[in-house]
Amino acid sequence: MRPPIKPIPPRQSQYGIDPALVKTRVCELPGMTSVLLKELFPDLPEVIYPGEEGVAAVRKATEEALQKIDMSKIKPEHSVNILASHHGFTLLGGEPYAEMLKTIKDVIEARTGCKDIRLRAGVGLRFRETEEYIKRYGLDKHFDGKAIGVAPIDQGIPIETEIGTLYGIRKIYDADWIVHAHNSDVREVHFHRQVDRAVKPFGMSYARIETRSTYHQNLGPRAANFTARAIFDSPFVQKKFAFASFLTVAPNGIIGVDADSDLYALNDRVTQIGCRYYGKMMTLFGEIDECIAALDFPCPVVYVFSAGVIYANFAGANTDLYDLDMPLPAYTWYTEAFYGKAGRPLLEDIPPVNPAIKMCVHNYAWTGYPSAFFSEHIPTVVVGQEQADLFNRDPQNLTYMKHAVVAETTEAAMEFAYKTTGTRKVIIFDGAMGGINVSEPMAELLLKKAPAVSERVENELLPKWLRQRGVDMSVLRKAVS
Amino acid sequence: MKVVNLLAEVDAGKCRGCKTCEKVCPVLAIKVENKKAVVDTERCRGCAACEQRCPDYAITMVKREQPIVVKVDVSAVDYGRIEELCRRAKLNPEQIICYCTATRAEEVAAAILQGARSPEEVSFLTGARTGCKVECIQPILRLLEAAGIKPEPPKDGWQWYGRTVTVWEIPEEVKRKYATRGFYFDEDIKLLDRVAAAPVQIRRDS
Repeated sequence: MRPPIKPIPPRQSQYGIDPALVKTRVCELPGMTSVLLKELFPDLPEVIYPGEEGVAAVRKATEEALQKIDMSKIKPEHSVNILASHHGFTLLGGEPYAEMLKTIKDVIEARTGCKDIRLRAGVGLRFRETEEYIKRYGLDKHFDGKAIGVAPIDQGIPIETEIGTLYGIRKIYDADWIVHAHNSDVREVHFHRQVDRAVKPFGMSYARIETRSTYHQNLGPRAANFTARAIFDSPFVQKKFAFASFLTVAPNGIIGVDADSDLYALNDRVTQIGCRYYGKMMTLFGEIDECIAALDFPCPVVYVFSAGVIYANFAGANTDLYDLDMPLPAYTWYTEAFYGKAGRPLLEDIPPVNPAIKMCVHNYAWTGYPSAFFSEHIPTVVVGQEQADLFNRDPQNLTYMKHAVVAETTEAAMEFAYKTTGTRKVIIFDGAMGGINVSEPMAELLLKKAPAVSERVENELLPKWLRQRGVDMSVLRKAVS
Repeated sequence: MKVVNLLAEVDAGKCRGCKTCEKVCPVLAIKVENKKAVVDTERCRGCAACEQRCPDYAITMVKREQPIVVKVDVSAVDYGRIEELCRRAKLNPEQIICYCTATRAEEVAAAILQGARSPEEVSFLTGARTGCKVECIQPILRLLEAAGIKPEPPKDGWQWYGRTVTVWEIPEEVKRKYATRGFYFDEDIKLLDRVAAAPVQIRRDS
């Protein structure tokens, strides 16, 4: 068996504990190994990062992708907002996304002579998260002091759409042109269901609370992302939209940079990557019969990564998140909302949280996202009193620790989990690049199941998923060739 | 229900009186007086909106010595009226509308039936919208509207701007236009209608 892959290190952040308190990573414990994702799915694409060239490969790919973009409408006297989102900085350490942002700025400046280029970085529910990234990756300096984080409670701007008035963040749109700088990583499939994934930030990290609440409360689980399309298609946004540049990401790494002034063309390509590669990984995770899930990544509980899949999606891996005929995943906010006071779903056909997760060992994960649903439905052991205290001080997680217990050390937490669950299958959400850190019995299971999963996705599920989203495979193949 | 265990504290030396805190506070608990922010400690619900947006990093969240339990007594209102109001807003009374505080529609409805007239009052009384501050503004506005109340956003504030569309209000031509792109409007209407109509699990009559 291979040794474990070095996980993403803990990060200094106001949303997590002091990295010095993270004494042990779960993958360092006895019996842990790793599986390369290419071993599981040999058809996964080749990656440019991680690789020998480091982030230089991302700069090169961005420059190449931007060559085909017509920037003639951007004049030297204009202003440009490059729009970023927090999520990109959680991918493979964050440097690739930061490098793409820097390169976009450099290319626009070189090609157009425009000097007033700003970075506007949106957030999820941790309003200062991108401020932290801007400093960490030197983006403030690179953007000549014109890099700021923006939050959904900042001053808004009404946007007239074909479904009525929605609201964006004023500072996102306070330039002549906007450039949508994002990534194709799927992350919250439970929310967007891979429908208009590329458009989502217009309804989320670039949007005000009214819009985000529309998404999560007013439209329903499969209509939600229409808020994003409605805003993007509005005359106000269309007038400002210059182009989009995306880090294209597969579960095993960065596969390139894709840029287009037609966001929907780019979206179709993103849909295909998301369904094919991440769909295989999620379907494989759905084959896990029993396990201990270990969280060990600098992100909120829901967002910790393993093989490109976030814990929130693993909690719903007992259902097909991509199948739009299925209304509710086992976890999404609509599902959470529909649990009544007796602790049962209000409708009988709402699926339970993935029963394969016998216990969660929360070794290291951040606050800043309402996560009590997880500790309420999955037995959870949190490592270290300091981490428990941090959750008790988070306005979004005041009841997380009501349902969890505390272990003093990682070793003690895992021993407790082994003894009480009776399983030795462990999956670690620690952001290992190119592979997945797991226990040996879990590695054996994944390697055994992967070939059949691959075949099922290719032949049965992928055609259905793409058909449901109106993506024509033959057109896509032509576009790629 | 929310146990408020934090309190905003202003460092007057750092505060420049920009009023950002005033504009973002969901319960109107902080005001700039004589060019310095002042916290109403009884009103503060510990959401940290001011701390997270202060451009001068002049606010910190400190632990309250005595946490406050914020809760509206649902049993003080005729449950039939609560149910009726919730269902008019197309919500199940037991549906959670604030994911951070697990506040259910019935508690917001009870707050409104007992006199709350704005999202700020609802948040002050129930604690809803004092966690992430983002996701639950629309169901609160829907419940207020269902009660015949048309609140005005706080003057010069950024707390909220307006109620937006629900899936029941999506125009038919929009549904038709995007029918093949994965938006399941009518199917989601059926789902949400079923949820709204589902029986409550624990009925608490007054």
